[in-house]
Amino acid sequence: MAVKKLSKDKVGEALKELSKFRLVAPARSDDVVIFKEISDPAEAYLDYGNSTVPPKKMVFPQTETLFRFMVGDPELKEKNVEEEGTTVIFGIRPCDARAMSIVDKLFAWDYDDPYYQKRRALTTLVGMACTEPPSVNCFCTSVGGSPFSKEGLDILLTDMGDYYAVQALTEKGENLQKTLSSQLEDGGDEKKVEEMARAAEGKIKRSIKTDGIPEKIPTLWDSDVWKKVSASCLGCGTCTFLCPTCHCFDIQDEVEELGEGRRARMWDSCMFSEYTLHASGHNPRPSRKERTRNRISHKYSYYPNKFDDIACVGCGRCINLCPVNIDILDILEQVVEA
Amino acid sequence: MVDINKLREIAKEVISRDDVRQVIGYRPGTYGFRARPAFVLEPDDVDELIFTPACVNNLATYITLEEKLPVPRGQEPDSRKVAVMVKGCDSRALVQQMEEKAYDREHLLILGIPCRGVVDMDKVNARFPDVLEKGEIALEGDKFVISFNGTKEEVAKDELLADKCKRCRYPTPLVSDQLLDDEVERFAEDDYSDIETLEKRSQDEKWAYWEEKLSRCTRCYACRNVCPMCYCEDCVLNRIEPMWMRRSVDVSENTAYHIARAYHLAGRCIQCGECQRVCPMDIPIMELNRKFYKDVADLYDYEPGTDAEASPLLSTFSVDDREDFIL
Repeated sequence: MAVKKLSKDKVGEALKELSKFRLVAPARSDDVVIFKEISDPAEAYLDYGNSTVPPKKMVFPQTETLFRFMVGDPELKEKNVEEEGTTVIFGIRPCDARAMSIVDKLFAWDYDDPYYQKRRALTTLVGMACTEPPSVNCFCTSVGGSPFSKEGLDILLTDMGDYYAVQALTEKGENLQKTLSSQLEDGGDEKKVEEMARAAEGKIKRSIKTDGIPEKIPTLWDSDVWKKVSASCLGCGTCTFLCPTCHCFDIQDEVEELGEGRRARMWDSCMFSEYTLHASGHNPRPSRKERTRNRISHKYSYYPNKFDDIACVGCGRCINLCPVNIDILDILEQVVEA
Repeated sequence: MVDINKLREIAKEVISRDDVRQVIGYRPGTYGFRARPAFVLEPDDVDELIFTPACVNNLATYITLEEKLPVPRGQEPDSRKVAVMVKGCDSRALVQQMEEKAYDREHLLILGIPCRGVVDMDKVNARFPDVLEKGEIALEGDKFVISFNGTKEEVAKDELLADKCKRCRYPTPLVSDQLLDDEVERFAEDDYSDIETLEKRSQDEKWAYWEEKLSRCTRCYACRNVCPMCYCEDCVLNRIEPMWMRRSVDVSENTAYHIARAYHLAGRCIQCGECQRVCPMDIPIMELNRKFYKDVADLYDYEPGTDAEASPLLSTFSVDDREDFIL
C-alpha cells in the first residue's frame, strides 16, 4: 500500500476519530510517561522518548480479573475481555511492538491464553519509528530489531518534520487507515523513510554480539560469574516489571465484602524471593545469585532455545532504571568472557 | 576531596586483614556518569574503587540485605568483618541499625567518608543527555566539574546537587573506625518548609495529589528493598496467609502499601532519600517520610540514627510522652 501522510496539525483530529475505539497513547504524569487510555487528544504526548512502563500492560494488565465468584457458590462469572472493545495503541515504539510478537508465542504455546489472545486480537498497534534513539542504552539492533522495525506493528508512523509518513503493514492497519481517510493525504515518501531508517540504525550506540550466548549460558550453571554480577542486586522488580517481554504472573483469590470474590492474576517477578518459594519452605533459587541467573538465562537462553527469539528487545529500560546500575549488556559481556 | 590513592591504600590494608571478609565501596558505572557499588574480595580489586559526587548509593543497605544461607554441615559460618564505606547520611543508617540491635558493632569495619554532597543523577542526565561514554563528576568549591568526551564543563553546585544534600546536617559520618578524609563541618540546615507547605493543603488537595502519584506505583518494591531500615526477615507484604496487602496493583492497594511503609519507618527513617531516588515512577516518597520525621522530632524530641546507644523510639515509653493527639 502506498505511503500516506498525516499532517501534524491533523493529528488531534485523527486521534479524535480514533477515540471511537479504546484509544491508548503515551501521556505524561509529572515527568513520567505512561501509556493510558485517553479521551482528549491533548493528553497524548507524542514527542516522547519511550514510556517508563512498557505498553505491554494494555494487553497483559498488571492486575486483571479472570472471573468472579461467591464463596460457596459453584457458579462462576467469567470476565469477558471483549467488553473492553477494540483498542488502538497509538505511538508505541517498534521495540515494544516487537516484544508483543515475541510474547505472543508464549501465550499460544502449551495453552492458548484466552485473556491475552482476545486482547491482542482486539488491539491495533500504531507504531512511532525512532528517528532518534530514545535512550543511550538502546540496543535493539543487536537483538533482531531496529528503530524502524515493523514486526508486530499494524501501522508505522515516521516523523518527517511537519507530517508523519503513514505505512499500513497489515489488514488491521489498512482498516484503520480507511477510518482515517479524511485526515490522511497521499504522497508519503517511502524512499525517504528507508533512508531515515538506515540513519537511525547508525545512531544506536550500544551493542552485543549474541552469537553463541544461548548455547553458552547453560554451561555456566555453577560459574562464579552469577555471584559477581548479582552482588549489588537489591532483589526489586524494576528490571522485570518494566521489561516489555517479561510475562510472569501470579494468581491470587481475593475475597471482598460479603463473600464476593475474584480470581485475579498479576505481574510477578523472578527477582522476588517468594517467586519460587515452595510450600515446604524450600526455595530452589535461595538467593539473588540464582534469581539473576534465571532472569538472564530465560531471556537469552531458554526462550531462544524454545521459540527462536531472544526475549529481549534492547529497549534499555532495565539498564536505565536499575537502582544499582546492573547492566544487562555488562552481564552478557561477562558471560561471553566466562 | 577524598584522595583516591589514600582511599585505595586504606581499602587494601583492610581487605588484607585476616578478620575482614569484604570491603563494600564504589566503582565507576557501566555508562555515562553513573557509579555503582563495588564488592572487594581481594587486595588486587581495590584499584577500581572510587569516591566522587556520583556515588549516590547508600551502601549500609548491603549490611542487612546480605542473604544468610544455611551453612553446610561441618562448616563454620564466616564471622569475619564486613568493611563498608559510608557518607554522613549513610552512616546514620548504620547507627539506627545498631540502635535496633540488628547486629553487633564488631561485625563492621566502618570507613567513613566526610561528604560535601552528591549529585541528583536525574538532574545530571537532564543537563547532559545522551552521554554514553564514561564521564566524571568532581566537586570543586561551589561548582561541579563535569568531564566527558574530552570536554570539561562547570556547573553551579546548587543546580545538580541532590535535594537531600541541600539540607544535610550530618556531612561527616556519625560512626566510623577510620575517616578517609578531614571532617566536613555542617554546611546546611533543614527548616522543613517543604513539608509545612504540604501540610497546609486541604484534605481534597492532598488526596488528589497522592492519587495521581500513587496510581503510578508498579509495586516493584525498589523503595522497600533499597531501604537500609527495611530489613525484616519476613516482610508483611510477602505474606499470603493472612494476606495483609493484596498483590493487585490499584490505587487503593498502592496507597495501603505506601502508608504501611511510611508508618514502619516512623522514628526510624534516617533520610538518606534512597527510596525516592530509585523509584522509577518518580513518586515523592520522601515527603511521607519527612512528615513523620518532623512529627517525631516535634513530639518526642527524637532523631533517628544519631545515637547508637539510644533506645528506638517506638520501643520506649515515658510517662511524660505527649498523648494529647489520642482521641
